[in-house]
Amino acid sequence: MKTELPVGIINRENSGLKKLKPDIPRITVGLATCGAAVGGTAIYERLRESIQKRNPDLSLVPTGCIGYCREEPIVTVAHPGKPLVLLNRVSVKDCDDILNAVLSGTVPHDKALCRIEEWDHLMGHNITYGRGFDEIPLYDEIPFFGQQKKVILRDAGIINPEDIDEFLAVGGYSAAYNALRNMEPDTVLEEVEKSGLRGRGGAGFPAGLKWRITKEKKSDKKYIICNADEGDPGAYMNRNEMESDPHMLIEGMILGAYAIGTDEGLIYIRAEYPLAIRRLKHAIAEARELGILGENIFGTDFSFDIQIATGAGAFVCGESTALVASIEGRTGRPHPRPPRLTDSGLWGKPTDLNNVETWCNVPVIIKNGSEWYRNIGAEKNSGTKVFSLVGDVEKVGLVEVPLGTTLKRIVFDIGNGGADGKAVKAVQTGGPSGGCIPLRLFDTTVDFESLNAIGSIMGSGGIVVMDEDTNMVDIARYFISFATGESCGKCIPCREGLKHTLILLNRILAGKGTAEDLDTLKSLSETIAATSLCGLGQTAPNPVLTTLEYFRGEYDSLVKL
Amino acid sequence: MTDNTVCSTEELLKKSSEDVTVIINGREYPAKKGEVMLGVAIREGIEIPHLCYEASLSPYGACRLCMVEKRCRDRSEMVTSCTLRAEDGLEVVTDSPEILRHRRMILELYLAEAPKSEVIKSLAARYGVTKTRFFKKTDKDDPLGNKCILCGLCVRVCNEIIGAGVISFVNRGPYTVVSTPFSGENSDCLGCKACVSVCPTHAIVTGDSGDERIMKSWGETKVKMRECPVCGNYYLPDLLAEKVYAKINPPLSKNIQEMCPKCRSRNIAIKEISASSNRR
Ligand SMILES: Cc1cc2nc3c(=O)[nH]c(=O)nc-3n(C[C@H](O)[C@H](O)[C@H](O)COP(=O)(O)O)c2cc1C
Ligand code: SF4
Ligand code: SF4
Ligand code: FES
Repeated sequence: MKTELPVGIINRENSGLKKLKPDIPRITVGLATCGAAVGGTAIYERLRESIQKRNPDLSLVPTGCIGYCREEPIVTVAHPGKPLVLLNRVSVKDCDDILNAVLSGTVPHDKALCRIEEWDHLMGHNITYGRGFDEIPLYDEIPFFGQQKKVILRDAGIINPEDIDEFLAVGGYSAAYNALRNMEPDTVLEEVEKSGLRGRGGAGFPAGLKWRITKEKKSDKKYIICNADEGDPGAYMNRNEMESDPHMLIEGMILGAYAIGTDEGLIYIRAEYPLAIRRLKHAIAEARELGILGENIFGTDFSFDIQIATGAGAFVCGESTALVASIEGRTGRPHPRPPRLTDSGLWGKPTDLNNVETWCNVPVIIKNGSEWYRNIGAEKNSGTKVFSLVGDVEKVGLVEVPLGTTLKRIVFDIGNGGADGKAVKAVQTGGPSGGCIPLRLFDTTVDFESLNAIGSIMGSGGIVVMDEDTNMVDIARYFISFATGESCGKCIPCREGLKHTLILLNRILAGKGTAEDLDTLKSLSETIAATSLCGLGQTAPNPVLTTLEYFRGEYDSLVKL
Repeated sequence: MTDNTVCSTEELLKKSSEDVTVIINGREYPAKKGEVMLGVAIREGIEIPHLCYEASLSPYGACRLCMVEKRCRDRSEMVTSCTLRAEDGLEVVTDSPEILRHRRMILELYLAEAPKSEVIKSLAARYGVTKTRFFKKTDKDDPLGNKCILCGLCVRVCNEIIGAGVISFVNRGPYTVVSTPFSGENSDCLGCKACVSVCPTHAIVTGDSGDERIMKSWGETKVKMRECPVCGNYYLPDLLAEKVYAKINPPLSKNIQEMCPKCRSRNIAIKEISASSNRR
């Protein structure tokens, strides 16, 4: 059965289409935190003032980030019937040139990075911009973009994240609408199970299975929570997902709540993300206003609402049990599992906790079906993953690729190798507690199992590139020092073990270490990994263990053998 | 970042009276379903070192010494036995080479963390660990005398059983200590010394002086003591007395209530004797 959207929503969808493809030129400025940080806000203000002064018929809106952080600030220009043109590395002094060009029907070619003729938002609503400006390269011809597969970031940098109309115009909320009207909760759950979607928060636990366990618990009350704590240094994909496309997350949570059978969801987000918090709050309010959150969503008898809880910035509060303790107002210290959150979570009720990106995957799965989704990615690792590619790499940015893509492709084909022409030596995946992978293993595919097999982890998706000048022992020290500072102090292997690991590394780096120290370092790391209470301690020694294994020579040269 | 241990169910957690058989080091033992495995081992006289377990408190799992190897189908997994619940056919090994190796390392860490604790020294020695490769913590001003291993028993007993919440963990990571708010005197302290009696390393220092009990480790908190009207000894903290007497129902007669336990029993004995001699 095909159901038409309610009139109110159709009107807003049409209004969104008119905003995305107005009959006047549309200028956007990338204003996620990354764009704002390199001058986007000033550019936006300057453009706004000039437009006001010269009073032309131009539309100006903020967008999120299209992922090419190195090229920011990014401004786009779309003339009616012409391609969407991305301008890169724009500064305030370019604003007049941009406006002059736009007003004379063109774009500033010297600032143009690429053009987009048509964009597939994957939710059944392609946007065709038009043809022209042939001398500007196509989006797909830019290696950084061309090798990516945008599923989660499909709207990022294109739509205005502060305007629900634009989200509706690209097919947003159509999956939720169809599911609530035409699908049984069990069917939604089965689709997610069949999609093979695995948690994007680090462990890769099957999302559908966690939903089912929560669903099958008998309880008068259940919760779903979105983990937006994102504490890994160098990782910012979740931030971008929320800043660039907050409604995608809300739609994912509506579908999850419907499948699991709960009326209450929470987003636990770190206070260090003020823009994401603001945009989420705005998006939630917009959704409530249209009856997409709250009582009787879309006029059905399903009700669901989302609250926001902010964290105070402890890394360990991303751990599931500490996260719940933190929401309940207790100290963020993990407790042993079982009981799992699915047994006894928030306020003792069955709770499903998923990462931001896990939730964001759900709408496309429901819209296009599990089979479509399973065709992306690799065996047992379906779908894409967003990585933040940072460190000594030339093209820094957010990169979305199918799971199963090799490190080589990410670092060299997309990232174009070392920055400033330096040779790449290693990458670290998985945040502070990931392993350091040497260049010779760059044929490794990025999926949960392959990374584990070589001593690293997927984690939440940070990829830190290190070049030839990097001292790997020093790198290990850096990460151990981070983990020591973030340890909650509850259990001894992590609390004391990491401290002594740090002392040993300092001694070795000062040239005062011995061969015995290296043995101690290794066996201590193994004990910390095997006996710590929570994931922080269990994974914290990875940088030491992998550098000892793959870069042993650097340690040996520092100690008296 | 692991949510995916598969070998457990909610049923395990529910205490029940169902009888089950568990296997420890290859031998079968009876247990109640849902019972804590460390408890089963203690009852059966099987030695598993442990420092943060107390049957009357909720599972905590912080000292990491009680880890055992849980055999589950064809895989094995290291888990803390104080948080592992008995189920039929559950098999654990308490002294695999893996367990022994990690246990020794943890004991070395404890020797460095609590170098002044005799309890830790002898526990470590029992597992062949007599010295540590790690820097010993020595802080002359440590109110817990460099003996605290942060097992949290004192904090938990004060919170969960006494309901006073006088002490808690302060700071985090390697800087964690147990203390009162701002390490000062805390007037909520009843002076009951429940913390002292659960502390496995005898780290908590107190002293009674005249009509005061001084909780030296807890910011030198001073607690008023009650004087026995008969012998004049100070025998019970005032606040504790109020709390306890309020719970006794029907209340004790005033004159008995005020006496110290010694005088009270003497008083009762004298009454008994005179009653029986009257009968005679
Ligand atoms: C120290 C620590 C920090 C963590 N931080 C995060 C985090 O910032 N975001 C996140 O989604 N998961 C984090 N996790 C993983 C969560 O505990 C949990 O597994 C995850 O949110 C489950 O969601 P998923 O199944 O969708 O991946 C962390 C785990 C540990 C041990
Ligand atoms: S592993 Fe570290 S962070 Fe986790 S409970 Fe133990 S001390 Fe706390
Ligand atoms: S003082 Fe004693 S009971 Fe309290 S945490 Fe330290 S060792 Fe444990
Ligand atoms: S007794 Fe089990 S961890 Fe301490």
